[in-house]
Amino acid sequence: MPELRMRVNGKEVTVEVEPDDLLAYVLRDKLELIGTKIGCGEGECGACTVLVDGQSVTSCIYPALKAQGRDVTTIEGLRRNEELHVIQQAFIDCAASQCGYCTPGMIMSAKALLDANPNPSREEIEAGISGNLCRCTGYYQIVEAIHLAAQRLAERGEEGSHGS
Amino acid sequence: MEAKFIGQSLPRYDIASKVQGQRKYPQDFNMEGQLHAQVVWSAYPHARVLKIDARQAEALPGVVKVITWRDVPVNEYGINIMDQPVLVGEGAKVRWVGDRIAIIVAESEKIARQARDLVRVEYEPLSVVMDPRQAMKPGAPLVHEERDSNILKHIPIRRGDIEEGFAQADVIVEGYYVTDAVEHAYMQPEAALGYIDEQGRVTVIAAAQWPHDDLHQIAHMLSLPEDQVREIVPAIGGAFGGREDMYIQHLAALAAFCTRRPVKMVWSRTESVQRSGKRHPFYMRHKTGATREGKLTAVEIEIISDAGAYASTSIPILSNAASFSAGPYVVPNARVDAYTVYTNNAVTMAMRGFGATQPPIAYELQMDKLAGKLGMDPVEIRMKNLFEEGSIAITGNRMSHGVGIKETLRQAALAAEWREENGHWRKPALPPAEAPHLRRGIGVACAYKNVCYSMGFDDTSTAEVTLNLDRSGEIVRALVKIGASEVGQGVWTALAQIAAEALRVDIRKVNLALVDTAQVPSAGSSSASRHVYMSGNAVLRACQRALAKRERVLHEETGESKVTVTYTYHGREARATTPLDPETGQCEPHISYSYGTQIALVEVDTETGEVQVLKLWAANDMGRAINPQMIYGQVAGGVHMGVGYALTEHFIQKEGRALTKSFSEYYIPTVRDMPREFVNILVEVPDPSGPFGAKGLGETPTLSTAPAILNAIHDATGVWLDGVPATPERVFMACRKSL
Repeated sequence: MPELRMRVNGKEVTVEVEPDDLLAYVLRDKLELIGTKIGCGEGECGACTVLVDGQSVTSCIYPALKAQGRDVTTIEGLRRNEELHVIQQAFIDCAASQCGYCTPGMIMSAKALLDANPNPSREEIEAGISGNLCRCTGYYQIVEAIHLAAQRLAERGEEGSHGS
Repeated sequence: MEAKFIGQSLPRYDIASKVQGQRKYPQDFNMEGQLHAQVVWSAYPHARVLKIDARQAEALPGVVKVITWRDVPVNEYGINIMDQPVLVGEGAKVRWVGDRIAIIVAESEKIARQARDLVRVEYEPLSVVMDPRQAMKPGAPLVHEERDSNILKHIPIRRGDIEEGFAQADVIVEGYYVTDAVEHAYMQPEAALGYIDEQGRVTVIAAAQWPHDDLHQIAHMLSLPEDQVREIVPAIGGAFGGREDMYIQHLAALAAFCTRRPVKMVWSRTESVQRSGKRHPFYMRHKTGATREGKLTAVEIEIISDAGAYASTSIPILSNAASFSAGPYVVPNARVDAYTVYTNNAVTMAMRGFGATQPPIAYELQMDKLAGKLGMDPVEIRMKNLFEEGSIAITGNRMSHGVGIKETLRQAALAAEWREENGHWRKPALPPAEAPHLRRGIGVACAYKNVCYSMGFDDTSTAEVTLNLDRSGEIVRALVKIGASEVGQGVWTALAQIAAEALRVDIRKVNLALVDTAQVPSAGSSSASRHVYMSGNAVLRACQRALAKRERVLHEETGESKVTVTYTYHGREARATTPLDPETGQCEPHISYSYGTQIALVEVDTETGEVQVLKLWAANDMGRAINPQMIYGQVAGGVHMGVGYALTEHFIQKEGRALTKSFSEYYIPTVRDMPREFVNILVEVPDPSGPFGAKGLGETPTLSTAPAILNAIHDATGVWLDGVPATPERVFMACRKSL
């Protein structure tokens, strides 16, 4: 079996994978990172979104071996010690999660968006999560949460600390 | 005393774990030594199974067992009528493509998938019953041969004299409305883990809306006493009615029962879309009469619903549909004939609205068509006919206990800039569209729905409350045990708020026990918008009695450090419902109601048929808002489903086969498909029998979205789309024909 070496949430990991293994399954089944959800297995719903070298990818159709030598961030990698990530806290404050199954992927898409564009317009937020389906919330509170997170990150930036 | 927790937007108890990806859903559970199972599905929508040959599959290395009908102790199940085989046997019939032939249990999921292709099944194909309107006719091929007709149920409602009613009418409008099947499309696909627990109980971890009913059905299937079966409900990734029936629970339980090992089963999204139940397609014929002044005089309604292959809850859904078929309006003369009919299409079942979702497509378009004929404003004609306290419905019952429908219309209309002068209402002038092929229009729709089980069904919920006391008798911690499934709607947070309010303790001291049928009492299902009312009443009363018991403990100085009270709330404590009279449909149908109005402002692109909702106003009467922020989310989510129902969600079946496979073909609205602006209006007209006046909310926000959008499309283009979904193709064709 080929060996996959990558950094997951800042930690070096080495796992044996089949050549046709997909990243989401490796994360969930081999690394027990169950926060990455599989909603469709076809890259349609975005529940499995993770970051690879800072770019958001739908990990359910992303060949695991493509992550060779790369940096992978999952929902489990956002929290810093006792403190939730700004986006996570904003999702709580805006009640942006109901059943919660889309939530990790939604937050990872939001992270990719805010990392690239710290001050997005409503249209840009919508474009950033248009690949993430949610069946519960109607999205408004999610958009509001991402907006709030951007605001808080900007405030923090002015104070000279890092939000992410 | 002023409420401390009721009416507060407290964060839901589970949200911190959800935003961190820590909350476990059924697919997130694994056990040492677990096996993996896959289903061998029926290859035909209607056929006789002649032979099942599993030898090749069994011979594949890694296959532990191929479970067939011979392995099922009692091969039947069903939430309402046990008309479904667990596994279809040789000599028996498959009746839709969601029927199952076998379950492969193997050492890995990959092997299980390989093996399922090796099961050879010989079928004798039978003619497929596709259209319920044809299936009703004498001589149609029978889906269930032991019955003499495919008609599962006919429900008549007779009130007044429709001939006289139509004679009094100055205008009469006739219409025919068709709604398609709808997929629940919960984000978490079907998954379960079955195992034998340390006490030898057949146990299943699954996302279930009605765990205690599953328990009953699994025990029946395995011929075990109910205390030998257990269901544990972890986080549920959405449900919307689709997890009210058993769908995977019994299969995982059976696999564990047969192998005595942990067995995990996970479905693909395609299996979820093609092999799970749907919302009923309806065919509705309406004739409505009104006087020149806009007063309704009579309705004549025929509803034909496609039950699919098995009954599921088609009968109570039909009963609901019939009772709501004339809308929230006073109509003195009514004749309704509603039928639900077996076909070889997808099984149809509960889905947000439970029979109250399809009728507004018909009755609300009828109202606008009447208004058009009378030259009357659509708000005004509704105001003349909407229920008030004491109005009589077509089922003969008196509407009462907080009839908020008019208030929802009034507030929504005023917010959307309707103007009222001397009882006359006038539509706002709309900002013009930016190009001639873009047309703007505004539409209104009202709807209502029961809260709790209906028509004689004894609705109950049981709560067990334990207060842990310190030496001075202060409550250190309160534990609520109740079998209410948290499907994402927020029921646990609402119940905790009710408990904290009743106990006057900090909400952080209130804990809810995990739903495990071995540990918590039955609360009924997470459906019918009922938990806030039913389970809220059970928790409230259990808390009140626990406080009284604590007083005795303190007064008598018994030294007890814990008091426990179990209380079963019966819906009939407030209001007893009665079944529909078999000939006239007259009855006391429902315990309580929730009401809603929506107004949609749309822009129609007549060159592409695309419809964008620019703004939507939603006014809902839920009695009392326990948690406004969560209610906002419920309403926005309901509107999301309503927009999909109106415009994009098209589950296509052809000759009993699902052509729709995945989210790339079944379009649930993305963030960009939602109304550009959304206005949420809370209307609180309390029902005194609800906890703190609360009724319920879960379903009503979905009901009026689609008819409001269809009425707005008409306002924009002059074209009627008499059904859903109004896909771009359908809108384009309709516009091309008449513009």
